[in-house]
Amino acid sequence: MTENFNRFVVANLGALFSGLWVTVEVCLCAFLLALVLGAVVCFIRLRVPYLKVLAISYVEFFRATPILVQLLWVNYVWPAVFGFPQTVTEAGILALALQSSGYLAETFRSGLEGMPKGQREAALAIGMSRWRTAWRIELPQIALVVAPVVINQFAVVVKSSTLVSVIAITDLMYEGLKIVNQWYEPIEVLTTIALTYFAVIFAVSTAANYAYVHFQTKFGIVMQR
Amino acid sequence: MLDPSLFWEYRVVLLKGLGQNLSIFAESAVLAGATAVIVGVAHLSRSRAVQWAATGYTEFFRNTPEYVLLVWVYFVLPLIISRMVGFRFRFDAHTAAVIGLGMAYSGFMAETVRAGLRSVPPGQTEAAISIGMSSLATFRRIVLPQAIRRMLPELVNQLVSLFKSTTIVSLITVQDIMYQVSMISIEELRPVPLYTGAALLYCTVIIVVTQTFHRVTERWRSRGWS
Repeated sequence: MTENFNRFVVANLGALFSGLWVTVEVCLCAFLLALVLGAVVCFIRLRVPYLKVLAISYVEFFRATPILVQLLWVNYVWPAVFGFPQTVTEAGILALALQSSGYLAETFRSGLEGMPKGQREAALAIGMSRWRTAWRIELPQIALVVAPVVINQFAVVVKSSTLVSVIAITDLMYEGLKIVNQWYEPIEVLTTIALTYFAVIFAVSTAANYAYVHFQTKFGIVMQR
Repeated sequence: MLDPSLFWEYRVVLLKGLGQNLSIFAESAVLAGATAVIVGVAHLSRSRAVQWAATGYTEFFRNTPEYVLLVWVYFVLPLIISRMVGFRFRFDAHTAAVIGLGMAYSGFMAETVRAGLRSVPPGQTEAAISIGMSSLATFRRIVLPQAIRRMLPELVNQLVSLFKSTTIVSLITVQDIMYQVSMISIEELRPVPLYTGAALLYCTVIIVVTQTFHRVTERWRSRGWS
């Protein structure tokens, strides 16, 4: 066991770490893009009457399609039809972002709609401008309320990111499977990878839980999960 | 962008693929449900060690990606079992898929079961025991019907994501829809209509199934169970 561990895992640590780094990059890029897209879609759904239907179908479509299907769809179909994404990395990031943006748009919407109206009215009544109300009163409260759900969504992105290895992005899973296919000794490598993913995702969801409990006790506000 | 005739031409293979998806879904749902009930009840045990074991189980399977679990069960588990029993042991991709997905979702479901059982006030159990019901009868007749009603919406969500996850079994060579679609697109060299069709198909099926599930369970919830 130890001998094999040294031979397959320790000897390939360089490759595994570069894979982990690619995973982190892909996840962060996808998540940032998802936050932006989610906010835009949420805004369209709530404030742009003519495009509301479009936003709803966007959310429903991306929430109802499995991530693998979307990944392959974006990777094989989009370049032919829309002319982008050009590389597999872009395709992977885009697919992960599209999926998450659907969920995030819904989270943002429930955060916005869960805000008591009185907050805004009170701020306006004491003479704050609309922008100031949004920036100083509404945004901080919504951010606190949605934070745990948003962090949890990041954990989901990391989980789904294991699938980008299928379209040959050299992430942790890809590097691991490469070693497995080279030596036909899966036990140590795959177990190490499983535990690594577990550690990363567990850390993220613990952070989400901490945020949930902490915000609940400190600010006394919380959203239904 | 979309060419229905291509789907019609390959309807037999695709329907067979759908059959694979559905059978894996059903089998792993049963496995996950059964395991989840055991682990969920273990969560509420009086013994600290059992509680810790249940928490560890739940957290591990909730926080490990399904694809990693699937690959691990397919490649590693048979080797470990072989070493333990001393002869070459193997199982096919279908079994590996069922075990992998079942384990992965048992973590999520155990959490739901635990929350559901917890939500029944202890006074209910105490009252039942004080009028002389056995603890098994209390669990089955008093706690479970109330808990299930509270668990249902969450359980439905989890079943829907389990169905969505069955697409990844194509990656360990189970011949499901996605596998067939990839094979056909290699043969026909026309990925655009095939993958678009697959995406739309999944989207429609999942939205319809989700809505139906929610309708049915809503009726159950309001009318009561048992």
